[in-house]
Amino acid sequence: MTTAISCANVSKRYGDVRAVDGVSFEVHEGEIFGMIGPNGAGKTTLIECVEGLRERDGGTVEVFGMDPERHTRAIRERTGIQLQSAALPQRIRVGEALDLFAAFYRRSTDWRSLLARLGLEGKARSYVERLSGGERQRVFIALALVNAPELVFLDELTTGLDPQARLAIWDVIRDIRDGGTTVFLTTHFMEEAERLCDRVALVDHGRIVALDTVPGLIASLGAENSMSFTLDGAVPAERLKAVDGVTKVEQVDGRVVIHGNGARFPHGALSVLAEDGLWAQDLRTRQPTLEDVFLALTGRELREGEAG
Amino acid sequence: MTAVGKLVAVQARRTLREPAAAFFMVAFAPLFALLMGLVFGNEPQAEFGDRGYIDANLASFPAIVLAIVSFVLVPIDIVSQRESGALRRFRATPLRPVGYIAADVLVRFAISLLSIAAMFALGMLVFGARPAGDLASVLLAAVLGVLAFLAVGYALAAVMPSQGTAQAFGNVLVYPLIILSGAAVPTAVLPEGVRQVAQFSPLTQLVELLRGLWAGQPWAENWVPLVVLLGVLGAATAVAARFFRWE
Ligand SMILES: Nc1ncnc2c1ncn2[C@@H]1O[C@H](COP(=O)(O)OP(=O)(O)OP(=O)(O)O)[C@@H](O)[C@H]1O
Ligand SMILES: [Mg+2]
Repeated sequence: MTTAISCANVSKRYGDVRAVDGVSFEVHEGEIFGMIGPNGAGKTTLIECVEGLRERDGGTVEVFGMDPERHTRAIRERTGIQLQSAALPQRIRVGEALDLFAAFYRRSTDWRSLLARLGLEGKARSYVERLSGGERQRVFIALALVNAPELVFLDELTTGLDPQARLAIWDVIRDIRDGGTTVFLTTHFMEEAERLCDRVALVDHGRIVALDTVPGLIASLGAENSMSFTLDGAVPAERLKAVDGVTKVEQVDGRVVIHGNGARFPHGALSVLAEDGLWAQDLRTRQPTLEDVFLALTGRELREGEAG
Repeated sequence: MTAVGKLVAVQARRTLREPAAAFFMVAFAPLFALLMGLVFGNEPQAEFGDRGYIDANLASFPAIVLAIVSFVLVPIDIVSQRESGALRRFRATPLRPVGYIAADVLVRFAISLLSIAAMFALGMLVFGARPAGDLASVLLAAVLGVLAFLAVGYALAAVMPSQGTAQAFGNVLVYPLIILSGAAVPTAVLPEGVRQVAQFSPLTQLVELLRGLWAGQPWAENWVPLVVLLGVLGAATAVAARFFRWE
């Protein structure tokens, strides 16, 4: 596996704030690597140090084996950048912007088909500032992809997009990954990390607190799946406990809660109830998520302070 | 097309789409000359040495345009692009800073010069104004004026901390400078002391140079304004290059 990005001990302070506090990691070529963490965790600061848009205070960063602060232009040619907050000069049409940015690079793609893939067909003649927030976000994603980059940086890829547009963008990102592009992104959305990223770094207070595949991170927690329901009638606790995979049966606040390993035990439990002619009501199942991993590692909620 | 070529095309279209800026940069000078000509006519008058109003004053009108472009339009546009993050987006590409600035300067230079040329053409064709001197020299001086004052615009853009400050500073400065320059009202109406202070304004020096060459004086007689304008060009370029910021 070849390395696209390698960071060692990167740090960046703003006054007393250690925005990035000694971070080391590698991004492999051809993977979608995500950073997830709460507001102010240092994601933007870190990604921009890697992009060479901010000067780090310490540590080393290599992109394609080059230091982004020294070989800025060579790296820019081969990378695409989507900034968390970006703008274009006023009164530029979408098509003009794409055409212009394509001219900045030696290599470029057909921006018209790029717009179509991002659901912006028919918008080429619109002024960028008159687009909706979600459309504008997609224009900036298009600008990051216009040079068919070998590596693309996406800071808050789908912020401001509706769920449908989000799914469509994930497809585009998977496609470009499958085409060989390495993706380095940050996100607030757990679902985005879980469904899109090959590997995820959990970031908190300027540090990476865990880094692995999503299943790997969740498995590292050692947490169990659970199901819960209410029941009209006597709980066959002993027989439920005997179901394959079940580790514990308890009653909490009038609900029956069954803990277990794997994904099969809920079916077993429901068959036991059916044998007794009992029906589980208000049935819920729960798998541990990245959220639980983050909570376990930091004692904080990932979504703390996030609006919506 | 090269990156800078494309950038020139986009900046030109963008500028012309901005109604206020397009008006000032292209149409203001000829319209101003037209208006003044219609109001004052161009009949010979004793107070202008038996020349007409337009004959006597046309050459100084470019200074008004350049004052507005360099003290108001350029700083506000560049600072607002810096504040909005638009300049930063360009920084995230392989485009070199000098490429961006070159394209921006080229567009504004061409538009300013076009406007000034249109103004001279209008004064001469509609009102029959004629330079006593060499028209090419007057236009050359106008080119120098455009370069020097565009540089002032970029220098101001570089040092202005915010759009609000740029706006306030430009508006406070631009009208006194125009009045002191003698381009709008004859310096003769100014008190003696004020007139002496006015000599220190580069805009006044530009007006003197343009008027002198239009009236048929040789360049040698106008070496003071020439040196002042070259100095302004050099100093402002240095300030702009030293302090220009993308974010
Ligand atoms: N230019 C700056 N000057 C001062 N402090 C800064 C600057 N940029 C970031 N910080 C601080 O550094 C910390 C990390 O900020 P950063 O923007 O990297 O967080 P983030 O993880 O991207 O947050 P978000 O999810 O809200 O985008 C924050 O405490 C922030 O206030
Ligand atoms: Mg951020």
